[in-house]
Amino acid sequence: MFCTFCGAGIPESANFCVNCGAHAPVMPSSTAAPAADPASSYAAPALQAQPPNLPPPAVHSAAVKCPWCGAVSDGSQSSCPRCGAALDVPEDTSESGWIEVPGRKDMTKIQLGNSSCQIEGVYVPVADMNLAAGDGIYFTHHVLLWKDPQVTISAMPLAGAWKRVFAGLPLIMTQAAGPGHIAFSRDDPGELMPVPLQPGEALDVREHLFLVATASVAYDWFPTNVWLKTQQGNETETHYPVGMFMDRFTAPQAPGLLLLHAAGNVFVRRLAEGETILVKPTALVFKDPSVQMHLHFERPGTVFHGWGNWTNRYLWLRLTGPGRVAIQSVFERIEGEARNLSSCSYATEQRW
Amino acid sequence: MIPPAPEAESFDRIQCQWCQGMNEKAALACRACGAPLDIRNLVSESGWREAPRIRDMTEIHFGSSTCQVEGEIVPVAEINLGAGDSIFFEHHVMLWKDERVPLGVMQLSGGLQRAFAGMPFIISLATGAGRIAFSRDATGELVVLPLHPGMELDVREHAFLLASHHISYSFVRVKGLVNILFGGQGMYMDRFVTGSVAGLLILHGYGNVFERRLAAGESIMVEPGAFLYKDSSVTMEVQFQRLGTGLFGGTNMALARMTGPGRIGIQSMYVHHHTE
Repeated sequence: MFCTFCGAGIPESANFCVNCGAHAPVMPSSTAAPAADPASSYAAPALQAQPPNLPPPAVHSAAVKCPWCGAVSDGSQSSCPRCGAALDVPEDTSESGWIEVPGRKDMTKIQLGNSSCQIEGVYVPVADMNLAAGDGIYFTHHVLLWKDPQVTISAMPLAGAWKRVFAGLPLIMTQAAGPGHIAFSRDDPGELMPVPLQPGEALDVREHLFLVATASVAYDWFPTNVWLKTQQGNETETHYPVGMFMDRFTAPQAPGLLLLHAAGNVFVRRLAEGETILVKPTALVFKDPSVQMHLHFERPGTVFHGWGNWTNRYLWLRLTGPGRVAIQSVFERIEGEARNLSSCSYATEQRW
Repeated sequence: MIPPAPEAESFDRIQCQWCQGMNEKAALACRACGAPLDIRNLVSESGWREAPRIRDMTEIHFGSSTCQVEGEIVPVAEINLGAGDSIFFEHHVMLWKDERVPLGVMQLSGGLQRAFAGMPFIISLATGAGRIAFSRDATGELVVLPLHPGMELDVREHAFLLASHHISYSFVRVKGLVNILFGGQGMYMDRFVTGSVAGLLILHGYGNVFERRLAAGESIMVEPGAFLYKDSSVTMEVQFQRLGTGLFGGTNMALARMTGPGRIGIQSMYVHHHTE
């Protein structure tokens, strides 16, 4: 048989691939058993929406439920047709509860109605969309890699987009219409994350991480209200550790697909009601709209002078559940470091 | 036991599908380009073939020399030059060398007009016997392209890692003001030509590298920063796509129209030069 990860030939009896170390493919019937086990749905939750109040899909004996997005497939594929996660690789969860974004096989294909998306490459993956006639997508600047000549692209009208100029964000969303192929990639080694959105579901994404979305996904943004002002001499500067605005993607009626690109590895966890976690502000990838965020400072209790001075404090983003949060392992430096803080948005504080 | 590829069953030799080199039936990697021979090709539905992911420590043979590919995230090409063999390269890709390997400078016409990173553009030459190793500055893939006799290949400038001395090197000015200003690949393109003797060319692409063969007259629009290499029979023309919003007068997006016949290689991580 062949390794479903790297394609190397491996002995029939092998449990692991001799070339890449991935788990050897298992028969669908053996993966169906844990899917029916109630214990596995407890461990499942990562990208799966919390309350899609839909009737449970009819599960026949060979059906496989994607542990990542919850989609049920017939067990004949080794990858989830809705989010592309590998179905024959166990989920990686750290002891602290972070779930690593699932392994994805090179050339995995995701079906979106009549259109499809193939994800190619491993270091800087490419999203290759095959658009059917009448299907559309939209994307930001600097992500288009190549397209068939017949795919038309145009600017997408956005109400109030001029506000975004000040945040230094791409002002123009570009839309493309099928039929034909169009492909996207970003300029950092990292993960390409397909996030399927079910009707009524929404996701808040830190700016600049969005790659492409299907036309059925609505795009909006909101001010983060997370800021701090620093002073140096007579100069005051305002910094936005998670960006001035945050993108919000919603699937109002029809299901849609959102593709994000994060740098490095991506980890997701689900916070219970009232549960909190401190994360590096620039490492945030996305959160459920139900998750609240604000600044959090930590400093030594013995320091009285210049606590506003950066060298004596640590800055966190405090996230409060319920809902999912995702972080990336490569992040930028926070702007305004090493400057004196003059004021900031709502923040909690802890002294050692 | 590794099942043999179906097309190899009736032959004693197996052909590499990346470089068309012939290999012994038991070989796990191609002798001429390092491509694994025991895994299937990764080709997207749209027709792009992923450049072969060379296994760590794979050895490639050319002339009386060998090249070992080391590492996977930013791979190193370590050359063990045989006596009398030589290779040429740009100075910014050298990683280490044996003290005894002599370096020289290739004589170029017009090279003084070109500068890279504030330094004069020089192609250096290393002659065996001895070891010298090369790598570039970002996550990516080594693209090993054995050039058969009579081949002509155009490469994005500063993207080639090394070439064997049987290959003749020149550079072409990218013609037309539009291409120079917005083409994204700079003012020059490196051109590698083989005469009657085959040679080895190694490139480094940022991110992942994909290749596609365009039929005569077939064309595809590519982000100029993603262009990595092409057969010189493929033509390249930068075209503008106007994205008007009315509010700020719109933005232009430049895309390169590549028209066949021939191969084109792209990289998935690229430099942006195309707005304003």
